[in-house]
Amino acid sequence: MSDYIVEMKHITKSFPGIVANDDVSIGIKKGEIFALLGENGAGKSTLMSILSGMYEPDEGEIYIRGEKVQISSPNHAANLNIGMVHQHFKLVEDYTITENITLGIEPIKRFAGLFPYVDIRNANRKIEELSKDFGLEVDPTKKIADLTVSMQQRVEILKVLYREAEILIFDEPTAVLTPQEIDFLLGIIEGLRNSGKTIILITHKLEEIKKVADRCAVLNKGKLVDVLDVKTTSVNLMAQLMVGREVSFESEKVPAQFKEEVLKIEHLTVKNEDGFEVVKDVSFTIRSGEIFAIAGVADNGQVEIADAIAGLTKVSNGKIFLEGKDITNESIRNRTEIGISYIPEDRQSYGLFLDFDLSTNLALKQYYKEPFSSKGILNKDVFEQFGSKLIDQFDIRSGQGIKTQVRSMSGGNQQKAIIAREIELQSPLMIFVQPTRGVDIGAIENIHNMMIQQRDQGKAILLVSLELEEIMNVADTIGVIYNGQLQKVASSESLTTNEVGEYMMGAKHE
Amino acid sequence: MNKDKKKKSLSYRLFWPIRNEKWQPISIPVASILISFIAAAIVILLLGKNPLQAFYNLFQGAGIFPKSSYAGYKSILTDFLSLLNAMTPLVFASLAVAVALRAGLFNIGVSGQMLVSGFLATVIVGYSGLDAIIAKPLVLLVGIVAGGLMGGLVGWLKYRFNIHEVVSTIMLNYIAQYVISFFIQMYYVDPVSRQSKYISEEARLTLVNVEIANLKMDIPLGFILAIIIAILIKFLMDKTVVGFEIKAVGSNRKAAKYTGINVGRNTVLAMIISGGLAGLAGVTYYLGYFSSIQPKVLSSIGFDSIAVALLGNAHPIGIIFSSFLVSIIDQGSTYMSSQAGIRQEIASVIIGLILLFSACGAYVKHKVSRLKEKEEDRKDSES
Repeated sequence: MSDYIVEMKHITKSFPGIVANDDVSIGIKKGEIFALLGENGAGKSTLMSILSGMYEPDEGEIYIRGEKVQISSPNHAANLNIGMVHQHFKLVEDYTITENITLGIEPIKRFAGLFPYVDIRNANRKIEELSKDFGLEVDPTKKIADLTVSMQQRVEILKVLYREAEILIFDEPTAVLTPQEIDFLLGIIEGLRNSGKTIILITHKLEEIKKVADRCAVLNKGKLVDVLDVKTTSVNLMAQLMVGREVSFESEKVPAQFKEEVLKIEHLTVKNEDGFEVVKDVSFTIRSGEIFAIAGVADNGQVEIADAIAGLTKVSNGKIFLEGKDITNESIRNRTEIGISYIPEDRQSYGLFLDFDLSTNLALKQYYKEPFSSKGILNKDVFEQFGSKLIDQFDIRSGQGIKTQVRSMSGGNQQKAIIAREIELQSPLMIFVQPTRGVDIGAIENIHNMMIQQRDQGKAILLVSLELEEIMNVADTIGVIYNGQLQKVASSESLTTNEVGEYMMGAKHE
Repeated sequence: MNKDKKKKSLSYRLFWPIRNEKWQPISIPVASILISFIAAAIVILLLGKNPLQAFYNLFQGAGIFPKSSYAGYKSILTDFLSLLNAMTPLVFASLAVAVALRAGLFNIGVSGQMLVSGFLATVIVGYSGLDAIIAKPLVLLVGIVAGGLMGGLVGWLKYRFNIHEVVSTIMLNYIAQYVISFFIQMYYVDPVSRQSKYISEEARLTLVNVEIANLKMDIPLGFILAIIIAILIKFLMDKTVVGFEIKAVGSNRKAAKYTGINVGRNTVLAMIISGGLAGLAGVTYYLGYFSSIQPKVLSSIGFDSIAVALLGNAHPIGIIFSSFLVSIIDQGSTYMSSQAGIRQEIASVIIGLILLFSACGAYVKHKVSRLKEKEEDRKDSES
């Protein structure tokens, strides 16, 4: 009899084209925080999906509390006291916290012993007790739509706890949180462990693991590399094992050399579809050779600033100047021509035509010009030559070269294709919105290097990112946004991560 | 793995064209045609008739196979020409649907656009007494302009007021149907036929009862134009900047906007082209196949064309073939009913079945790729 509460032995799971898990064996002790570390596509989510009943393994056995089980559905997993806190919340926006948590297992009472109804008062009380027990105070009668992201996450955690989970799986829980919220969450996770729960933490952020985890399994390309004792292992070694080679955390940067002003924003105000001001009176400038990063929690107006500069969103007030020219009312195409490259946040619905082939997508910003077309007739040969050139130059990997349907490419390579296309425009201003979202560590390093390279060539770069680490790493100047307003603009050397975090929360402003 | 392959070899070999994505554009329509003929055969068997005989009669009637005897001035050639005559508006209408589909729009107003352009051409040119050499091109021009304007209106309503094209086209269909019926009954009615008065032969796009080699034939001039236009549309969509932008808007409006394509202008443009093609369908129908307009009736061609376009994969050349097939069944039905004693409606049943199965094409494609994924999953796990 082992002392493991969960044991997964020789798990193999493959999908068409890839082996997601290759003979992975792990054992998790009761009452520990066990971290699963790996790049995107390393197989950590697949492994946990198997444990939570979403997939069945092709091979291998699972033991829960020493008993062999076959977990056939998420409900079955719930019966085994396994619960998963998903990265993308699965909540009904218009329902209250209680309604969301009890959904599917509502406490039923019968009116006059006959007509069933949901005993919401009782449920509210139960949830309030539960949330106090675990330090996750919430108001159970509030609607999800009115909650902040971190509150919504609490609801997700409560949902799992309400179902009496003993084994909690957290899937990249900190991806959407500010540094302060992350600290709070990690505190909660430790609290859960101290009250006897077993925690499995899926993440690719090393410092979190270092902070809270007891042990850590490293996966690389579907294979288990090692199981480490976190206390005695250095962060560098973990990173090396995860990537399979040495990685430098600090991007190599020569000191910035700012030259002439490229972009100037004056009193920019942007309204969203409902008429609310999502960007309020924002002014800043970006110079040639400068990486200007906008830091902020998601949905604080930063994407709208980028869209307004690129022309995708209407400006309701203020002016935008590019190299001294007022472009506030120019069309999107004219802005591209005048000199804006834009790597959008949502690469699949904005940046690419997923059903078109790679060469077409690479030529997307130039197809209407010579030599891609003349007199309105497309020249497919030029598309192909151009595509092949970029594929070589930027090492874009795809199944069938330029003919590959972009839909079938990996996220990292889709992103590379967009960046290649936009760099090729040689625009004086480049806008990167979340350029490394969903991209693995090796590619992140690559993208950061490309940005710095472009900066050194004299481009002005606007970076919008939710990853504070990324911003601290590559930015020369940081502007922190909260609730549509720039709270602080300062050089990156003069700010600490914690300060930026405080500005992001709106807790501190000038 | 080898064993696995042998086990499913027969079904595997039989279905490989459907499984292979490269062949799907052809194999799925062909399969849906075969299935619908089999289904129709069952219906005919239930009626106690010989389905093979019935199908043979169908093709005889359409001028594909020779009939056993012909009336005076008639031969297989005359039958075949009337087949082409009937097919011409269907080709144009299906092209109209296809162009809109490529732009991500669903033009179900083809019938209304046909009627408006047919009516205007009838009134402006059909009763004018102009010479053929001027009248015929003028009819085409009026058709294109009237249809194009009406299509453009739909595109503009969508772009300017965000009115869904399905709603606006249905409404415009009704408006066209009743307004035109009012004008026909007030001003242009033929008291005997209760339809609009017949147009002059000079304005008609089909040369009627032309005597060649002792045969009286209907020569559809519009058919040649239909083939040329289909090739032109293929060129436009595949090879030009305009076509690329239309397809881009149809494929992903957000990405099109991001790229700098003017989504509104392309929406309107695609609907103008679609409407113009519907206009050509209208003039070849009302001033070619027929020479008058029946009030208060919308042509079913406008609706059949949706399915014909789908059967032809919204591809201009595919549409020529799918229109050809549907027209054969339609044209051959009279002869089938007289020869095999099967009611003419059975032909409509077959067409209905074909169109039904062709509309399922996307589903079949989806299902096949799902099955394939599953199978590969299993294969991988077994290996």
